[in-house]
Amino acid sequence: MTEFLQQLLNGISLGAIYALIALGYTMVYGVLRFINFAHSDVFMIGSYVGWFALQRFQFQQPSFLGGITVLTLDMAVCALLGVLIEKLAYKPLRNRSTLTVLITAIGVSLLIQNLAQNQKFGFGPNPKAFPPLFPSKQLQFGDLTLSTNQLAVPIVTLGLLAILYWIVHCTRTGTAMRALSFNATAASLVGINNDRIISFTFALGSSLAGAGGVLYAMNYPSIDPLMGTMPGLKAFVAAVLGGIGNLPGAALGGVLIGLVETFVSGTRLSTFRDAIAFAILIAILLFRPAGLLGKLKVEKV
Amino acid sequence: MVPPKSQRLLIATLAIAALISAFSGRIDAYLLDVALGAGISIVLASSLNLINGFTGQFSLGHAGFMAVGAYASAMLTTTLAPKLMGQTELLQWVVFPLSLVAGGLLSALVGVAVGAPSLRLKGDYLAIVTLGFGEIIKVILQNLDAVGGARGLTGIHTHTSLFWVFGSAAVTVYVVWSLLNSTFGRGFVAVADDEVAAEAMGLNSTHYKITAFVVGSFFAGVAGGLYAHLKGYLNPSGFSFDKSIEIVVMVILGGMGRHSGVIVAAVLLTALTEVLRSFGNYRMIVYSVLLIILMLTRPQGLFIWPLKKRKST
Amino acid sequence: MPDILLDLSSVTIRFGGLTAVSSVSITVREGELVGLIGPNGAGKTTVFNMVTGVYQPTEGSIHLGGRSLAKLKPFQITDLGIARTFQNIRLFPSLTVYDNVRVAFHRHLQNHSLQSLIRSSNFEEEEANLKARTVELLTLFNLQRVQDEPAKSLSYGDQRRLEILRALATKPRLLLLDEPAAGMNSSEKTELLTLIRFIRDTFDLAILLVEHDMKVVMGICERIHVLEYGRKIAEGTPSAIRADPKVIAAYLGDN
Repeated sequence: MTEFLQQLLNGISLGAIYALIALGYTMVYGVLRFINFAHSDVFMIGSYVGWFALQRFQFQQPSFLGGITVLTLDMAVCALLGVLIEKLAYKPLRNRSTLTVLITAIGVSLLIQNLAQNQKFGFGPNPKAFPPLFPSKQLQFGDLTLSTNQLAVPIVTLGLLAILYWIVHCTRTGTAMRALSFNATAASLVGINNDRIISFTFALGSSLAGAGGVLYAMNYPSIDPLMGTMPGLKAFVAAVLGGIGNLPGAALGGVLIGLVETFVSGTRLSTFRDAIAFAILIAILLFRPAGLLGKLKVEKV
Repeated sequence: MVPPKSQRLLIATLAIAALISAFSGRIDAYLLDVALGAGISIVLASSLNLINGFTGQFSLGHAGFMAVGAYASAMLTTTLAPKLMGQTELLQWVVFPLSLVAGGLLSALVGVAVGAPSLRLKGDYLAIVTLGFGEIIKVILQNLDAVGGARGLTGIHTHTSLFWVFGSAAVTVYVVWSLLNSTFGRGFVAVADDEVAAEAMGLNSTHYKITAFVVGSFFAGVAGGLYAHLKGYLNPSGFSFDKSIEIVVMVILGGMGRHSGVIVAAVLLTALTEVLRSFGNYRMIVYSVLLIILMLTRPQGLFIWPLKKRKST
Repeated sequence: MPDILLDLSSVTIRFGGLTAVSSVSITVREGELVGLIGPNGAGKTTVFNMVTGVYQPTEGSIHLGGRSLAKLKPFQITDLGIARTFQNIRLFPSLTVYDNVRVAFHRHLQNHSLQSLIRSSNFEEEEANLKARTVELLTLFNLQRVQDEPAKSLSYGDQRRLEILRALATKPRLLLLDEPAAGMNSSEKTELLTLIRFIRDTFDLAILLVEHDMKVVMGICERIHVLEYGRKIAEGTPSAIRADPKVIAAYLGDN
């Protein structure tokens, strides 16, 4: 039972990070209808930015306030990076075929990964140890041992989700985002500045990925330039699982994938862990292509 | 009866490949290695061109199919065949080509298994499923002790010669070309152009897509077999996502759905990889920048000929 | 009276909560030229999409020559002898004009994938035969002059005619034309009327025509069905339809 609760918490913690990344995929898909392959690399950059910030400030003692500051700074940098990628690589390709944009996205992803691996321009190929972000404490509940770090991930994630919900549903920009994802042409006809909203969407999604990067690094305290690929792919699977374009769906999908992966890791099948997510993806596309919370669209003929 | 021109061309190419192969001992070893690599690239790119170029599907899992063929044929020649018949000359001239075909067939079978359920998916969804499939293959290979697991498979006989590589390339190009150049074959392009209209004209779009997947993955498997018997060792990590991307780039560079453009691109990119080798760590940076610039400026491919007037033969 | 070819009986389709077509019955007899009219959004194209298998009706049945079309895929329905054009022209833009027509002969093809690899004399013969038939059709519509151009480079009027020709290449028993006169001026429309009559007489088939333009429909159809808000409100000869108060109300408004 203790074992189960422990794994459950680990699963939710991992799933929360997948959820943060998945939201970025799903938001961009909502407004532009393409898979932003470079999103997983924004996640990776996010953990490096966190690493640099922590190195730079040389916290003697990790503090709660310091951790939040690093997280906020990190999200801002990643938001900028997301907007930059969009402006430089995707904007010139508006209205081109999905394929062209998709391949460009793959190109951007390869570029970021390889720049990051480069010793001169980037961080170098070797993994780096990630210092503690928040003050950590072990809590004891009967047989169950919890570290505050494990709790921090779902708590921070919930906070970010609340802010996201407020932005999407209670602000003008959020309303414009939703309008754009319904119908881009109609949105521009009623005076919405599509380019500005698309940039905003990238900023929002990338900042969440950045937060995900820091939280991931905090729990698996080693970072490297290729760390984004697998979590990125799994988060994408989470977005599809929940119904791509659907925000609550992405969060739900993330948590589910995290749970499945954690529980599989505890069994003999643990080495197949990375294949499981794709097996889920293929199954979901076969039986419920619109995802758990998505609605199937009928193609107009 | 005189065979049609395309078949005469195929036979001529095979003969030339055999001739050059006979004198391959005199060719500089490095140059030979690059040429063999280029030939295998032609097989890979032409077969992917059928799926991604002509039929308008988007597969990102070609390296996965290649891996299936590579491991299957390597296991046949190194483990199974010597057990059955010992070390004989037959290995190189009979068992090896048979193992290529067997690897191709197994790969085609996997192609159906992946293709059939996922072909309802469009564009980027299909891309991500095929990508996922490639990763699954890699993970399975890494966990299969019988094929060396993550350590890889070593001690494969190096049977691959100029004849087998360019013979396979010629057959691949012939098959893709002949499939396309018939009333039946224009259906591949029709499905790519407009699936709804194609169905309305009585074309079974699923059948076309599966045919493309089967033929495409068969030749990817053959290419894998050639690769295995060229290098002499295999490692699952050699068939990663990056390898699939490399093949996709060849197809795009050559102009999707163009036979000769894609062949030229396969050779060019193989050569470029050699040139970039001197750049060491910068190789992939240059490669990805090239890819982005290409997409921004010439998404239709490098070689744009004016639309050739097709004689209605 | 000729036999009934197409029989839609109480066909209904719902998309989620929206009933797009509600209990509509339509028949088309062999060799007949029938019109299907109604205001925008009345469900005309949806009827076409159900007949051709793009959508499956929620209720009711569709039969072609007594054979149920339920659960058949679009290409299987084409195999049974229904061909169509689309409201917003859907050619194969990157194929040549010639190949657009040639590919539609597919359903009468004996030789498929393997034969195109072996290229036996049998195969070459069939290909030559198809070529002759394709060129013959193209000549009939005076499109052989542009046969080697990609379809996307054709003028609008030629694209419309090519799409009809492509549908004819499947040798249908029933041809569905979805607003063929859309975007045409009045002299082009007159030409189109002649063309449709010519097709019906030469190819021995029935035509079901969705049209917005009353002049076109009235001038050519033997019988007309009128849809409004997914329901059939009238059926009859052109003169009867013209006099029907419900039809007048639907087109001109109640007041």
